[in-house]
Amino acid sequence: MTSVPQIQVFSVEGKADAELPLPDVFKSPIRSDIVQTVHAGMAKNKRQAYAVSVKAGHQTSAESWGTGRAVARIPRVSGGGTHRAGQAAFGNMCRSGRMFAPTKVWRRWHVKINLNQKRFATASAIAASASQPLVLSRGHRISTTPSIPLVVSSSSFPDLAKTRAAVALLKAVGAYTDVVKVTKSKKLRAGKGKLRGRRHRQRRGPLVIYDPATDGKVLSKAFRNIPGVETCPVTALNLLQLAPGGHLGRFVIWSSDAFKALDTIYGTSTSPSGTKKDYSLPSAQVTNADIGRLINSSEIQSVVRAVKGSAKSKRAGGQKKNPLKNKQVLLRLNPYAKGYADAKLGQTKYKEGKPVRANATFHDVLSTA
Amino acid sequence: MTTVKHVPIVKKHKKRFNRHQSDRFKCVDASWRKPKGIDNRVRRRFKGQAAMPKIGYGSNKKTRHMTPSGHKAFLVHNVNDVDLLLMHNHTFAAEISHAVSSRKRIEIVAKAKALGVKVTNPKGRVTTDV
Amino acid sequence: MSYPASSDLLWEITRNNSSFLVKRKTGSGVRLSRDPLNLRNVHSRKHAGAINNQAIGIVPSGKGGISLLTKKKGTGATISQSYKPSKTSRKAYVQIANSTTKKGYRADLREDAISRASALIRSYRKSVKPTKESKPRGSKAKASAASAASADL
Repeated sequence: MTSVPQIQVFSVEGKADAELPLPDVFKSPIRSDIVQTVHAGMAKNKRQAYAVSVKAGHQTSAESWGTGRAVARIPRVSGGGTHRAGQAAFGNMCRSGRMFAPTKVWRRWHVKINLNQKRFATASAIAASASQPLVLSRGHRISTTPSIPLVVSSSSFPDLAKTRAAVALLKAVGAYTDVVKVTKSKKLRAGKGKLRGRRHRQRRGPLVIYDPATDGKVLSKAFRNIPGVETCPVTALNLLQLAPGGHLGRFVIWSSDAFKALDTIYGTSTSPSGTKKDYSLPSAQVTNADIGRLINSSEIQSVVRAVKGSAKSKRAGGQKKNPLKNKQVLLRLNPYAKGYADAKLGQTKYKEGKPVRANATFHDVLSTA
Repeated sequence: MTTVKHVPIVKKHKKRFNRHQSDRFKCVDASWRKPKGIDNRVRRRFKGQAAMPKIGYGSNKKTRHMTPSGHKAFLVHNVNDVDLLLMHNHTFAAEISHAVSSRKRIEIVAKAKALGVKVTNPKGRVTTDV
Repeated sequence: MSYPASSDLLWEITRNNSSFLVKRKTGSGVRLSRDPLNLRNVHSRKHAGAINNQAIGIVPSGKGGISLLTKKKGTGATISQSYKPSKTSRKAYVQIANSTTKKGYRADLREDAISRASALIRSYRKSVKPTKESKPRGSKAKASAASAASADL
C-alpha cells in the first residue's frame, strides 16, 4: 500500500481544519450485485403476514351437475328460491368464487441472509458512499459539498440538540441543497398506500453517521425533523439506509469520531475487526479495475503479439468501377478500346460487307497477351 | 429541424392486422390474436383470407420507428426533457406527454423552437378546433 | 481495490441505473443522459461525465453566454469557465479548444464540445424565419374554403 489518502475534516462552520486517514473499509470492493441481493432480502424482513380468509369462496355446498344439462361442469349452488341457486361457485373464474391460489399466512415472508454477505454488502455500500460519481448517480445534490466522503468534526455533536443548529451545520458543509431537493420532491403516493400510513413519497437526503459513545444521541433529535435526513450510529450501520433501494452511493455525513471508529469496527486490510467476531474486510478479486491502464501497462504490452495483417478497409482496392461506363478503367483493361473507338469499328454497318478479318499479327498478339 | 438523409421509409403492410372475424361479431375485438383452430382458414393461409402478421413485415432497421419526417419521437414531460434533444434535433422530435397542461405546453414548444427541436404535437390543448 | 474506484467499474455500476439516465420505450428505446458533463446527452461510456476522470460539459450561463465545465484533477469537482456572448461565436470555440484539446484534455471530445457550444449559441438567436402558416389540405381545405365563401356572402 502506498500513501494512505487523507480526508479533510470540516468544522461546524464548514472550514477544513484537520485531516484523517481514510479507513480501509472504504477500499472494499464495490459489488452492486451483492448489495442488491442483500438489500432485497433485508427489505423483506419487516414484512407482515397477510392472507385471504381460508373460507372465502367456499362457504356454500355447491356440487357439480355433471354432464347432460348443457351447462359447464363447474360446481353449482344447490337449492332454489333464490338467485344464488344454480350459480357457479368455488372456481377462481366464478363470481364470488375463491381466488386463484389463495394467499396463505405461511408464505415465506422473511429471508435469511448469510452474516458475511450482509457485512460484505455493508462494507461495499460504505465504499460506494465515498465515490463522488456514485453519489451523483444516485441523485444526491452535492455540487456545493467540499469533499466526498464528507467528515464533520465531532466536537460540536454532543451539544447539537436544536434543529436550527443542525440545519446551520448542513448549510455550512454544503449538504442543504440535498435537503432542498428532498423537500421539493414530496408528492402524494399513488394508490392505496395513501390510506395505509404511507401518504407521501419523497427522496432520501443525507445520512448522518455518528459515534454514540462520544457524539451522544442527542443529535438524532436535532436532525429528525429535517426532511430526508436520517441518522445512524456507526456501530449499527444499516444497509437499508446506506444503499436505499439497493442503489449504491448514499450521501453520508460522517462525524469524525464515527469515521475514526470504522477501522476498529470493520478492521483494516491487515488486522481483523475489533467488534465483529472473526471478521476481516473483503478483498477484491481484481486489484486494478482500470482496464485502460491494464491494457496499456508495459507488462501486457510486452507480451501481446503484433497486429496481424494491415489495416482493413471495407473497399480495400478502392471503389469498384464499371469498365463499361468508365472509359479510363476500360482502357486499363483493354488498351485496344481506344483504337476500336477511333476507327468507329463498333458503328460499322453489316451492310457494308463483312468486316475485314484481322490479320495474323493481331491474332498472335491476342493469343500471347 | 431537417433530418439526416436516410433510406426511403418502406412500410410493407400499412393496414392494421385485425383479428379474424372481428368484423363479424361485436364481441370479437379487433386486436390481433393468432387463430389457433384446427380448421381455421386464416391459419391455414387459404386464398383470399386475411394476412397474418409475421416477422417479414418488419421495417428496415434503419427506418424503424421513424415518422414520415424522418424523426423518431421522444416523449417529453417538461422543459428539461427538451434540453436533452439539443444535440439530437436531426434524429429525434419531441412528443409532449398527454398529461401536460396547456400552460406548460407553451413553454415546451417555445423551448423546442429555440433549440430547433421539432414537436410532433405542438397544437395539442393549445388550439381548440370549433 | 484501489481508492478511488476506477471509471471502468463505475461505468459498469451506473450504466443500467443512474439518476442521469433517461430511458424511453418509444423511438427504439433510446437512452439519454441528463449529466451536465455529457456533451451529446447520450448515455455511453465515452460521454458519461460523472464517471470519467476527465470530462467536458458545455452549459448555458446567464444571459446568452455559455460556460465550459471540466473536472478538477483528484477531487472530481467541476470547474466552470464562462464565456460571455460575443458577436463572433468562433472566438468561444477557439477558447474551448485551447483550454481542452490543446492541453491534451479529452481531445476526443473537441468536435462534440464545439458543436454543442454552437448549438447553444444558435439557440439564443432569435429565429429570422417566422413559422410557416400551415396550408390546409383535403377535407380541411374544403371546409375552410366553404367557410370563406359563406363569409363573403
